[in-house]
Amino acid sequence: MPETPRIDPVSASVIQGALQSIAIEMGYKLMRMSYSSIIRESEDFGAALTDATGRQIAESMQSTPLQSGPIAGYVENVLKVLAERGETIAPGDVIMHNDPYGGASHGPDIAFLVPVFWEGELAGFSATTAHHLDVGAQTPGSAGIVDAIDVYAEGLQFKAIKVVEGGRRNAAVWQILRDNVRAPKLVVGDMEAQIAACEIGAERFRALLAEHGPARVTAAIDALMDHSETLMRRAIAAVPDGVYRATTMLDGFEGDPERSDLTLAVTLTVAGDSIDVDLTGTSPQVSDRPINMPFTGTTDIAIWLTLRSILLDSAVHGVIPQNSGLTRPVTIRAPKGCLANPSFPAPVIARFTGGNQLADTVMKALAQAVPGQVSAGIGNLKVIAFSGLQGESHWVHMEIFEGSYGGREGMDGMDAVDTLYANTRNNPIEDIETHLPLRVTRYELREGVAGAGRWRGGFGSVRAFEFLENGGGSVEGEGHRYAPWGFLGGAEGGTSRLGIAAADGGFTDLPSKVSYRAAKAGESFVAFGPAGGGYGNPFERDPAAVLDDVLDGLISEETARESYGVAISGRSVDAEATAALRA
Amino acid sequence: MRLIGVDVGGTFTDLVCVETESGALTIHKVPTTPHDPSEAVLNGILELCELAGVARESVDRVLHGTTTATNAILEHDGALTGLITNEGYRDILHIGRHQRPQHYSIRQEVPWQDRPLVKRRHRKVVAGRMAPPEGRVLVPLDEAGVRAAARELREEGVEAIAICFLFSYLDPAHEQRAREIVLEEYPEVFVTTSAEVSPQFREFERFTTTAMNAFIGPKVRRYVSRLEERLAENGLTADLHIMGSNGGVATARMVCELPVMTLLSGPAAGIIGGAWAGALSGRDSLITFDVGGTSADIGIVRDGAFAEASARDTSIAGFPLMVPMIDIHTIGAGGGSIAHLDAGGAFRVGPRSAGAVPGPAAYRRGGTKPTVTDANVVLGRLDAGNFLGGAMSLDVDAAGRVIDGLAAELGLSRLETAEGILTLVNANMANLVRSRTVQKGLDPRSFALVAFGGGGPLQAVDVAAMLDIPEVIVPPAPGITSAMGLVATDMKYDLVRTAFLSSLDAEGAAARATATLDAMQAELAARLAADGFAEADTAFERSGDVRYVGQGYELRVAIPAGPLDAAAMEALFEVFTGLHRAEYGRINPGNPIEIVNLRVSAAGRMPVLGRPAVGQGGSLKAALLGHRPCTFRMATGLETLETPVYLRGSLPLGERIAGPAIIVQKDTTSILRPQDSMVADPGGNLLIQVGGKD
Repeated sequence: MPETPRIDPVSASVIQGALQSIAIEMGYKLMRMSYSSIIRESEDFGAALTDATGRQIAESMQSTPLQSGPIAGYVENVLKVLAERGETIAPGDVIMHNDPYGGASHGPDIAFLVPVFWEGELAGFSATTAHHLDVGAQTPGSAGIVDAIDVYAEGLQFKAIKVVEGGRRNAAVWQILRDNVRAPKLVVGDMEAQIAACEIGAERFRALLAEHGPARVTAAIDALMDHSETLMRRAIAAVPDGVYRATTMLDGFEGDPERSDLTLAVTLTVAGDSIDVDLTGTSPQVSDRPINMPFTGTTDIAIWLTLRSILLDSAVHGVIPQNSGLTRPVTIRAPKGCLANPSFPAPVIARFTGGNQLADTVMKALAQAVPGQVSAGIGNLKVIAFSGLQGESHWVHMEIFEGSYGGREGMDGMDAVDTLYANTRNNPIEDIETHLPLRVTRYELREGVAGAGRWRGGFGSVRAFEFLENGGGSVEGEGHRYAPWGFLGGAEGGTSRLGIAAADGGFTDLPSKVSYRAAKAGESFVAFGPAGGGYGNPFERDPAAVLDDVLDGLISEETARESYGVAISGRSVDAEATAALRA
Repeated sequence: MRLIGVDVGGTFTDLVCVETESGALTIHKVPTTPHDPSEAVLNGILELCELAGVARESVDRVLHGTTTATNAILEHDGALTGLITNEGYRDILHIGRHQRPQHYSIRQEVPWQDRPLVKRRHRKVVAGRMAPPEGRVLVPLDEAGVRAAARELREEGVEAIAICFLFSYLDPAHEQRAREIVLEEYPEVFVTTSAEVSPQFREFERFTTTAMNAFIGPKVRRYVSRLEERLAENGLTADLHIMGSNGGVATARMVCELPVMTLLSGPAAGIIGGAWAGALSGRDSLITFDVGGTSADIGIVRDGAFAEASARDTSIAGFPLMVPMIDIHTIGAGGGSIAHLDAGGAFRVGPRSAGAVPGPAAYRRGGTKPTVTDANVVLGRLDAGNFLGGAMSLDVDAAGRVIDGLAAELGLSRLETAEGILTLVNANMANLVRSRTVQKGLDPRSFALVAFGGGGPLQAVDVAAMLDIPEVIVPPAPGITSAMGLVATDMKYDLVRTAFLSSLDAEGAAARATATLDAMQAELAARLAADGFAEADTAFERSGDVRYVGQGYELRVAIPAGPLDAAAMEALFEVFTGLHRAEYGRINPGNPIEIVNLRVSAAGRMPVLGRPAVGQGGSLKAALLGHRPCTFRMATGLETLETPVYLRGSLPLGERIAGPAIIVQKDTTSILRPQDSMVADPGGNLLIQVGGKD
């Protein structure tokens, strides 16, 4: 257990509240200043404060977990790289970093770090990350680069580069950047917004140091991390000791025997108040396709955030400060060279949905220990980068396609939401069609597909994007071949599906990963989202709930009868016939 | 003119009667009747007329703040509601922005899925589709389909129908036609369209707001018409006006059509009342600080005017709400907030509250948890024998016991613990004030803090000191500031239109903005004329939601009256640039700017209230009730000082009084630390000068 904090409890709480509001302000302002919809609407960005060694102190409440969580890893790596190069950090520096093997875990998530100095000493960092529209990879956009053979093919790499040094902008770096990304205005505008948010955070951090003095602030930060650690240890201690194993499967590259049907294996060992996570048994890395998940930034985050979401569920435990203290009770091991710990320069840019599948596998293992705290298998996500040329300029739009949750004890799964370590937002149809040569021709629940269960899985969505001009799309997704797992007698959920609809109505199925595919005006990408797994025996589902689903047009009377043993007659349950079916 | 303001709160219904010419003011308070709030409203008004000695038929206007709509949403107790929307988009209300409300939770609820405003079976789709930029019709409206949907919904027994089509903010024709058809098939249904509720882009937010309007519509309509009837039956022929979230009142008829505009009206009346109080002493830069039992509301008044919330920051019960609303921020911190150690051993206050029952331990209603009120009792800040003007006696021992329990866990003394509770709750409030000032580029030092609600004046000086705010204002009757706000405000209507006007074509933008704004203003002028306002009593304010092209969030920029030209547009964009710098610390030179929405706000001026009669004031000696030990944080640590207790009503006017001091009046207690001093202002307020940090 952590030591007793060296600060009185009142001051600790006051300083911690102030730190949290700084991080919130940073996120709020970044979102409002930024240009591309992947940041301002989808909220695929992060903001956090760290101490001088990179330990995360507080993070923005907006933003997606997969962006704020890794910031500690970015800072640690930047410090290491600068030390190796013999560079020092000075006031007025702004550092850019996106090294996939140095905390970023894929190139599009570019961080900006502003150091916070107090009386000549480095006191911490104010940092933001954001998913940028384009980083100069082989095809437009920064998603669906599924053909890259190594990290060099994935776009520009910035390893602890001072884009502003002692207050002076490094004009050459900015020019190289502008010349090598598509949509440079948006990308650079977003970067400026990131830096501005960092500067606001740094200014507030300095004001806090001035008000309370560095010693008290440091003590409050230590107490804050110890506090989070204590909460996590207590939660782990409540889990029965034991070894819990699970595996799930990834599509990988459908139709490519050497690169498809990959295994994610998790062995959780719960002992007292700590957890060891061993990924031995996970498939070897795919050395020439970018679905590998760097250990720092994807694998660790997927595991930490999933454990935290289950064991310190904020709906049950209230808001708990997210900081580096939460991760102390957890050790993670992954054999070097496996999918979850690849070796440089194996490509990684499309690691997003694989990482979410790893999160799901962790939940599947933990489900055996705490069945009341999990959901059955989640439906995984998909990202499509839509792009085209208008004159000599690119337009790029990235859209994240939602999954769904499995059933939960006492609750059905959430329908059509982002899952586990991601929590982005969709773009309003009225915004997309106003600004882009795209039309969203359908967006509603996908009827008839859900994991049956006493508490059924959530429904996925159907969403279709039509090209109004010639363009193209690149796709990275998962879950076409393997359905979300059912739990405690619940049925498996539904796989997802993707295709191109031609203007004349013809439909061509696509795999879950598509390197750039040109699309003519009038063609549409149509995504059928996955449905979460069922929880518990469907024959124990409340017949009234089954009736509700029928009345709502979500399942047919036939499904009610066959999957749930419920007979519907007119607009009500036929109790006698139901009893007979369920007997 | 004779006005009555009635504000229905959770526990009490507050009433004021004012004569605008003389400033004569009569106050009354009756218990709220939750089963039918109109009962307390009616009886309270009748009693108030009696108290004030005025004939019922001589009352000109009744201005009413009601929580009927709010409670219907919070309790999810509204009408069975149907939706008619575009084919292919049945579940916009259900999928939302596909984001979970909480990042780190498996077992969370999704409000729009777990508590739908419209069940899927009642969401009907019809063919018809418009497209941007002008609302071109891609697919004509299937009128037969609308008719069939209306019939189905009627058979299914829905009481209210929301009509929500994509891009209706560009052209409401399809929605309007659908509305006509629905009314032909089902004349008695409550029907509402998304373009009439909030013609702005972002379909999930607009559709949700519209569905909410339908969901609460029948209930609000019933409430308002019953109240009107009962008032009339009892000889009150006054016009009934109802407070809106936008800080103005509207006619009963308007509120029956757009009940969604009243959803956040409670705190809105408070900020108006705070602004009214500030004006009594000539102060127009104010932070209003309204502290009740469970929450604190904070609002900002600049140059006498309140700010409007950004349309994307407003929500209720987890649902987004896209209607004009005063910028007010609420935190769960009040007198009943419970102090505790969380599971990780950290010291926290709130957001859980002991509420009115069991309430703080000191209330003798069975409370066993230490609250902010108990801390105030232990520190000597609340008078146990004279709470609420003697209406209630506090249990000092019980307060001490529950604080001691926490003190033992913390390893602190009783007084350190009690003072720590106040410090934490005040720090939470100060953080909230910072988020509305410092984070917006405003300097709190240039504001006065207006403290009201039962708990505001108890905490105000400490909060002000944390923020270097130099002055605290305690209004004449802090407990009924919201009811005062009702009689102090104007009739107010807002219109908004999505426009997309770019700085790249300043001339074209100027022409379109002028035409659109003139048309909006004409519509509002007609509405005010119909309400009986002479042209001289109306005022219009124009503004735009402006951003750099490519951004997704806007800043509100005032637009001058009259025709605009290119130069006026340039000036407007210049103002935007300044606001951007203040808010974000930087600007983006060379980046084109666009106006996304045009707004017009119309006010029908109500008679200006005279100053309340304050009387001649007394003497310090006459006001002194005695002394009481009261504990303060001094440079050297906590010190308990024999502190004079003064009766507010007997204080001398205009005389500076040194702290420490406790000022009691029927509905609140104000605290001055040793560093502070105060003057009872002839305007009716207490003006407290906040001393330095030492």
